[in-house]
This record gives sequence, C-alpha cells and structure tokens, in this order.
Amino acid sequence: MASRRTLANINFSGISVFVLILAAWEASVRLGAITFEFFPAPSAIFAGAVELARDGILLQDLLHTLLSIAIGWTIATIVGVSVGLLLGFSPLARRYGLASIEVLRPIPGIAFAPLGLLLFGFSLQTELVVTVLPTVWPVMINTMGGVANVQPRLTDVGRTFRLNSYEVVRYLLLPAAMPSIVVGARISLSLALVMAIVAEIVGNPEGLGYGIVREQQALHPEFMFAYIAVVGLLGLILNAGVLALTTSLWPSTAPRPVA
Amino acid sequence: MTGQMSKFAAFGRMVSQLPSPRGLLPIVLVLVAWQLLQTGNSPYFPPPSAWWRGMVQIAAGGKLLTASIATIETIVVGLAISIVAGVVIGVLIGISPRTGRALGPLLEFFRAMPPPAIVPLAILFLGYDERMKLTIVAISAMWPILLNTSSAILQIHPILLDVSTSLRLSVLERIRLIVIPSVVPAILLGIRIALPLTIVLTLLVEILTSIEGIGALMIAAQRNFQSGQVYGLLVLVGLFGFVLNNGFSIAQSAILRRWPPRNVQA
Amino acid sequence: MSAPVFECRSASVVLSLSAGPRPIISDINLELRHAEFLSIVGPSGTGKTTLLRMLGGLMRPTSGEVLVKGRVLTGPPEDVVIVFQDYANALLQWRTVASNVAFGIERKLPRKECADRVNDALSLVGLLSRADDYPWQLSGGMQQRVQIARALALRPAVMLMDEPFASLDAMTKAGLQDELLRVRDRTRTSFVFITHDIEEAVYLGDRVAVLNGSPGRIEDIVTIDLPAPRDQIMTRQLPQFLSYRYGLHKAIGYG
Repeated sequence: MASRRTLANINFSGISVFVLILAAWEASVRLGAITFEFFPAPSAIFAGAVELARDGILLQDLLHTLLSIAIGWTIATIVGVSVGLLLGFSPLARRYGLASIEVLRPIPGIAFAPLGLLLFGFSLQTELVVTVLPTVWPVMINTMGGVANVQPRLTDVGRTFRLNSYEVVRYLLLPAAMPSIVVGARISLSLALVMAIVAEIVGNPEGLGYGIVREQQALHPEFMFAYIAVVGLLGLILNAGVLALTTSLWPSTAPRPVA
Repeated sequence: MTGQMSKFAAFGRMVSQLPSPRGLLPIVLVLVAWQLLQTGNSPYFPPPSAWWRGMVQIAAGGKLLTASIATIETIVVGLAISIVAGVVIGVLIGISPRTGRALGPLLEFFRAMPPPAIVPLAILFLGYDERMKLTIVAISAMWPILLNTSSAILQIHPILLDVSTSLRLSVLERIRLIVIPSVVPAILLGIRIALPLTIVLTLLVEILTSIEGIGALMIAAQRNFQSGQVYGLLVLVGLFGFVLNNGFSIAQSAILRRWPPRNVQA
Repeated sequence: MSAPVFECRSASVVLSLSAGPRPIISDINLELRHAEFLSIVGPSGTGKTTLLRMLGGLMRPTSGEVLVKGRVLTGPPEDVVIVFQDYANALLQWRTVASNVAFGIERKLPRKECADRVNDALSLVGLLSRADDYPWQLSGGMQQRVQIARALALRPAVMLMDEPFASLDAMTKAGLQDELLRVRDRTRTSFVFITHDIEEAVYLGDRVAVLNGSPGRIEDIVTIDLPAPRDQIMTRQLPQFLSYRYGLHKAIGYG
C-alpha cells in the first residue's frame, strides 16, 4: 500500500530528535538553566517572528532579499551562459581567456564589498556587485564544460545539415549542454542567496541580512534569531524548490550518488 | 579495471590541464588600458599605479604584514580545527546509520543555513575579539567536511566491511585501516569546499568588526576614500585566494595519486 | 582418513524480515576433508551466498552448527578465509598489491616473515612482478588473483570462494581455474567453491554438492571420479565429465 510505504519513509527518529532539542532548549531557558544574556527561548523567537511579520518589516526585508537574488542571479546566468558558450565553442577563446578566468575566479565575493561601497555607497548596486561577481563562475564553468563535451561532434553534425553558427548554437549546442548549465545555475542560485546576505550585512542596509545585523546591534536577540531562522528556511525552500523544478524538467540533472 | 571514463571525467581532465598563459592577455590589456586612460585623479577608478602607491603606503606602516598574518592565521587555524572536528564527528555519525538518520534533519538544517547569517550571532555571544573570529570560521567550515565524511562512510562498500569482519579486525583497526582510508578522497573534497568558505568568513568578520586583518584594512581604506588601497587590497586578496586554492588543489592531486581516478561531477 | 577439517551439522538460516520469518537455507549437512575441493552448485536465489557467509562465520546459523577442526564457530574462524566475487571492492584500492596481500598477516607476524609470505603468495599466483602496482591498475583477473594471494598469505586450512570467477571472461576464467588447482596441490588447502557454472564445478571439484530449492537444501553430493591433473581440453571431453554434467543439469532443473 502506498500509504504504508510513505509512513515508513517518514524519518520519525529524525523529527523526534529535532523536536526534543527544541523542547530541551525551551525548557532550559524557562527553568533558568541557561542564562546567557542574549539567549532567547524558541517560543520567544517564534513570537518575535510573528511580531515582525505583523508589522510588515519581515515581509519587506524578505522581498528585498528575494529581489536582489533574482536580479543578481539573472544577470549572472545571462553573462555566465553567454561567455560559457563562447568559451565552450571556440578553442581560440579558451586559449586567450581561460587563464584570466582562473586568476579572477578565486577572488572571494566579499572582497568586492568595500569596492562596491566606494563606488555606489550603501545601495542596491553595491549588493548586486557582491552578488553577481562570484555567482557568474559556476554557470560559466559548467556551460563551458557542457558545450566542450559535445564539441566538435555536434558542430560537425550542424555542418552536415548546413546550419549556420547561430542555428548550431541554438538548436544543437544549447540543448545538449543544458543539463550542465542547469546544474551550474542551481549552484549559482544558492551562492546568490549567501552573497546577498553577505552584502546586506556589510554593504546595503536593507533586506534579511541587514535585519540580522540591525537586531543584533539593537540587542534584540529574539528578533535576530527570527531573521536567521527565516534566512535558513529561505535557503531550504529555495534550494529544494529549484531542485524539484529543474529535476522534473531535466531528469538527467538529478543529483547522483557519488561514485 | 576502472577503464570507463564518463564524459564528466573528460571535462575534469580538460579543466584541470594548465591553461595557456596567453589567456592572461585580457587582464593585461585591461590593466594597461586602464593605466593609460586614467591620467586624472579619479577617486573611483584610480589607475593600477595608484593601487601600488596605496599598498606601499600601508606596507610602510608595517600594517600590511601584521594584517596579512592575522588573516592567514585565522584561515589556517580555523581550517585545521574544522578538519579535525568535521572528520571525527563525520566518522562517528557515519559509522552508526541510526545516529545518521536521527540527526539527519538537524544536519540538513545546519547545512542549508548560510554561514554569514550566523556571524552577527557569534558577535552577539562571543564579543568582538580574535577568539570569536576563529570560532565562527571553524564551526562554519566544519559542515562541508562533516557531511562529506559521513556520507562517504555510508557508501563504503559492504564487501569491504565483510572483509574486515572475516579477518577479525578490531573496531579501532577497522576505523584506522579501512574506514579512514576509504573516505580520504571525500574528506579532501570537503576541505576543497571549506577552504574558500574560511576565506570568505574571515574577511567578512574583519570587514564587519574591524578586527585585525586584511578585511579591516579594506574597510578602513574605503572609509578613508583611499581608493587606490581598496583596489590594491582586492588584488592582494585575489592573490591569496589563488595561491591557497591552487596550492590545495595540487596537494589534493598529490595525495590522491594512489586512489583510483574518479569520475568528476559537475 | 582424518577427521573432517570443516563440518556443517543440520545448519539452517532463518531471516527475520518485517513480513515474517523467512528460511533461506535449511538442514545443511556438509563435510570437508584435508586438501579436498568441494564445489557447490545451485541456481540463483537458493541461498548460496548465505551458505558461504554462514560457513565463513559472518552469519550465525539459526539452528545447527558449523565446526572448524572440531570447534564450533562463534564468529569468523582463524583457519578460514573468504574470497569474494566482487574483487574490486574486496581489495584496498589505496594500497599496493603487496600491501594488500599483507593485509591479513601484517599485524600478526614480524616484518621479515610477513614479507616472505607475501612473496610466496604472489609467486603462487604469478604476480610477483606487479607487487608495487595498485589494484586499480590491474585487470579484473589479476585483481582476483591478488585477493586469492591475500587469502593464501594467511595459510588457511579452508578457502571459501563465492563465485570468484563469475565476472571474468572465459579465457581468464580457464587460466584461473587451473591456477587454483595448482595452488591446492602445492598448499594442500581445502576449498569450498560456490558457483552457478556446472562445468566449472565438475572440472574443479573432488565432490559436487547440489544446493537447490527454496529454502535451499543440499539435495545431492556427487563424488567426481576424474583423473588428475585436470586439463581444460582433455578432461572436459571425457564421457564421464559429460555424464556428470548431464546428471547435475537434470538435478538442478536447468535442462
């Protein structure tokens, strides 16, 4: 029976451990066993989250972060796929471009934060600088790899059918490289979330990241924890959602067990 | 024989081969053009010569060296702690599948949590000092290593475990001779992921709190509108990242020479 | 004749599954003498692997007992070594061939004696020249020989082999079969050899036991009276060989 099988698949021990820890946390704060000055009970955190949601601040910050991720990730994907296609397609481009990429790639995104602040001050642009620059790489590398895997076989096929370069890219290379591109885009998306939070912590006083810092500096730990929990949940939902969506559209991109 | 190489292995071979130095041309051209075109004293886009001047300025005060040491120290020590903690806890979790299942949702939750989000929490609890910086870096970098280790242990082939039972190995012998060597490739992969994470977090804490380090220098330069220094420090950080990441890559290949070649995953 | 080296008395294995208890093998009675080669044939699903694991001490019999040199088994015994079908995963791929062969004895013997035994074992299987290579650099047949060498280094009384040549090509298989017989002659080890290949069972065995049914039972034990040393071409042509083969086919129900 399908219901019996799904019942067996629910991780009872896992859920109960989770619940147990939350309960122990709550109990120890209430009973005074833990008296760190800034250590709120889960119930206080939940109440804080509800209050933030009711005041609309939470939603506002959430939307800002989501917007930032969306814009940043879109730009990164467009740039990454375009450059990746070029590099995958043309050995010449690789010869005159790969070393530069290998030099630029290790620069951590956070290092661009002071530069962004210098150029744009505390604004969305700074946030985008920090978000876009590191997230270009996974998409670019994966696109390049995906195309290079099917080159030059597929171009030869294209030539046999007398397709011009644009048609080769659009109808042959791009679809063939799609699984790789999708995996790269997935990695970029979770990276974009992290970098947006980073940018909001140091660069742009808006969004969930700023919410965490703001409440930390205001010494409101319950609100700070609430923001952190929302960030964590956002990460889970975003990753799971994108994984489900892309796996249903491109089944070959489902994560494989390692070797 | 492990003769089958998938197309991903070919991809891995391609990427890991050293790229032609001619590939540096774009960067060189940009820098040269930048230098030639920026004759004025633009505060936003100073030419590379101004970067050099800015760096010399900081170095003269001796601050460049002390900051670099502070940053590298945090990265290295933090990574070392995270490796030990990640491997030990990962092995303990991996050995007992029941523990793994019970801790599963908890681990997933921590894995999904972006480490930068925890930094303000660490500041709140541990204050503004070196120990806090090290703690947050070590704890965050632990996760990829822990998760990789525990999942690799679960994937140790049952036949290998049968061999160890059949040869009557003690528990400690089994861990030392079979479990740990089996998961070395996975541990190295986890460290590969953890390394950039330690760099990012170290810089993040330094930028946010101005605790001694390269990040502190960067944010100070930005606040003082020393744009040359901002760019110069950016290049320095890039250099650090390049050396650390590629250095580790080389070490990883050297260590893994005796393991069978794996299929590379995208 | 001396007492049996290996004995199985009314042994059964019953697994407790969520759907209820499931008998895998039932009432197994076997005897193995010094330097004897016992083949066990049977179709898939009759519990051949379970039988081997029980004989090797990896699994306790639910009833009955297994005895090695007269002592009842409570775990993997000293004198018995298992050679698995999956050689790639049974070897330690990160150690050299020589180091793999030493794996069973390195903690029990002084270095010199250990090294001598490793060299002896590798010579017996003809891989002394590859001692410093890694298993993943070797072909399938060679890796299986390394596993056999590792077993031989332990100087066991009994070698249990679980379809060891099943995933190898025909020519490699034939070569290894002959090598195995030569090893038996040189070392006087006893063998329990599990296979689904009837011809292999007859070619190698002094006796052939038929494991059949669900749960698996020993339905018959045939003594193989063929001239020694066996030869891949001559022996397999003999009318006796063909009649053993025919009889076993019928017994298992392949025909």
